[in-house]
Amino acid sequence: MKNSILIIIIVPLVILFGWANDGMKLKYLLFIIITASFFSCNDDPDPGPPAPPTGKIVFEFQHLFHNNSVQFDTIRYLNAAGNLMMFTEIQWFISDVTLHYSNGDNYTIKEWKDIHYIDTDIPSTLAWNVFDNIPAGIVDSVTFTFGINEQKNQSFLFVNPPESLMFWPDILGGGYHYLKLNGKWIDNLQRVSPFNFHLGIGQIYDNQGNITGFIQNYFSINPAGPSFNIEQGKTTELIIIMDVDSWFDTPETWDLDYWGGDIMQNQAAMAAACINGKDSFRLSLNID
Amino acid sequence: MLLPGIIFFSCTKNPDVELIPAHKPTPYEITIPFGFPTKLNIPEDNPMTIEGIELGRYLFYDGRISGHADPAKHMSCATCHLQENAFECGIDHPVYINGKTHGVTGIPTPHFMLPLFNQVFNHSGYLWNGFVEVSNSDPMLRNLEALTYMGIIAPHEMNSDTLSAVNAIRAVPGYSELFKKAFGTEEVTIDRMSKAISQFIRTFISANSRFDKYMRGEVQLSPAELSGYVLFVTEEGADCFHCHGGAGNPLFTTHLYYNNGKDSIFNDPRDRFGVTGDPMKRGAYKAPSLRNIEFTAPYMHDGRFRTLDEVIDFYSSGLINSPYIDPLMHHINNDGVQLTPTEKANLKAFLLALSDHDFISNPAFSRPENLP
Repeated sequence: MKNSILIIIIVPLVILFGWANDGMKLKYLLFIIITASFFSCNDDPDPGPPAPPTGKIVFEFQHLFHNNSVQFDTIRYLNAAGNLMMFTEIQWFISDVTLHYSNGDNYTIKEWKDIHYIDTDIPSTLAWNVFDNIPAGIVDSVTFTFGINEQKNQSFLFVNPPESLMFWPDILGGGYHYLKLNGKWIDNLQRVSPFNFHLGIGQIYDNQGNITGFIQNYFSINPAGPSFNIEQGKTTELIIIMDVDSWFDTPETWDLDYWGGDIMQNQAAMAAACINGKDSFRLSLNID
Repeated sequence: MLLPGIIFFSCTKNPDVELIPAHKPTPYEITIPFGFPTKLNIPEDNPMTIEGIELGRYLFYDGRISGHADPAKHMSCATCHLQENAFECGIDHPVYINGKTHGVTGIPTPHFMLPLFNQVFNHSGYLWNGFVEVSNSDPMLRNLEALTYMGIIAPHEMNSDTLSAVNAIRAVPGYSELFKKAFGTEEVTIDRMSKAISQFIRTFISANSRFDKYMRGEVQLSPAELSGYVLFVTEEGADCFHCHGGAGNPLFTTHLYYNNGKDSIFNDPRDRFGVTGDPMKRGAYKAPSLRNIEFTAPYMHDGRFRTLDEVIDFYSSGLINSPYIDPLMHHINNDGVQLTPTEKANLKAFLLALSDHDFISNPAFSRPENLP
């Protein structure tokens, strides 16, 4: 049908083209090309099967101490070791977020960005509107990497703040801090002492203090939480909770008086912290 | 059919319409150095152009911008922002003794100066306390453009007014053509002056120190410089990097605000607390870039340290505790990081490797041979 119309329009134009002067020829030529383009498309091909249904997901991040939102900049929190503490900011990376469906499928967040930075000083980072279209279905569990895995955690991965401000010096292993949890505590001499609970790549030192190797301290989290349904065309809001108290209390007791205020060059301290970190996260569904 | 038809019948020339040529200044492309941020602070309403930068360069160096009739009172940006000192005053300025600046009337500036470079990568506010920042309730005080306006009217700087400044520049014949080339018409406004100067300042990129060359594999640092760098980026060393960057943050500043342990009493109304009202930010000031630190003495917001040695001694054993000290100062209860004399020397050697001699001698940033 379209081809018939094309012939009816184009043939007279071609005849007219021969009679026209040079200026008109240019106009006719343009008209013929555009008209031919307009009608030259074939009928739509078979569209194939419909796209699988998808929804959207938003991750929100909360930082709790004994189930209450952390109140920053005030010394009020007591850990299991008896350290009276305050927190000033929490900054960390989450990556490799994977949804595990009841039908056995998995979906890993991968489009646009697969690493998200959370900073309690930057409210916009406390919600991650995932770009991906998430397959619809029942999700039984979610897993993620605390920090950034070895393959991805390379220096200059981020060049823009705030992520770039998390860089972990190359001499200490490179890449980025997984976590900066800063604050102060009343130490055993009753002084207010700052602490920098920083986690990243650990180092192996020889007897002379030279670095002979590195240890990846990132770890995978399978947080407790409810099943939920990704519905077609709808947005699911999932809350990822960091129980800050758990970094200090379970399963081991973390004593700031023992480990001190800085641990970036203390693999034993970071390893102990990572053991506690594995049960420091849980999920909740935002149904508001 | 509609589209071809429209195209077909729209081609007729109307000889009565004389089109005014659109103003198309030449775009200026920032070259981003290795490892530097790719997000640039260039406002949508002030794109960088060759013509705008050229105008801004003249204005930056032109004392008539202060609007004073008396040539003895002329003051430009470059009166204090000297290229040889990384666009800071420096400690050896013939007028501003020990680097203490003052305005044309002699009123001292509240703080000592910050240098001017790599500001096109700065999204976190200007001045020691970040008063000019994107969250300022006054839209006029949110970006670099504000600093020109503020400098003209501030009693401790040019102590003038914008009308006088505009009239003074408007009276210079050569500027009208420069404004036309930059902005399309000859109109002189304070807004255009600010924009042009800001464009010029945004070209100040310093990224060619010995450390930069080392990162690019072009040179090797000396053993002392390397030892100093290790101290710079380790918690058990001098732990400078959390606030002042390093290879992963080559601006050598976070552009954030910290109480770094200089005092125990805080009565400066222009600290970060004075801007935010956050009591934990009493005595907090912007961590300045340590690039070109060799040229920017005296140091700290109040210029209390005359030399890098004094600064290193301070961080080694001179810290003062207070309830407001930033937690990143985790050596506070030892009074500092307790460096040995050798470590101090090595740290200083590294800091000197951040000097960018090409930047402070770049003719593109220098005073034009002739002003309009």
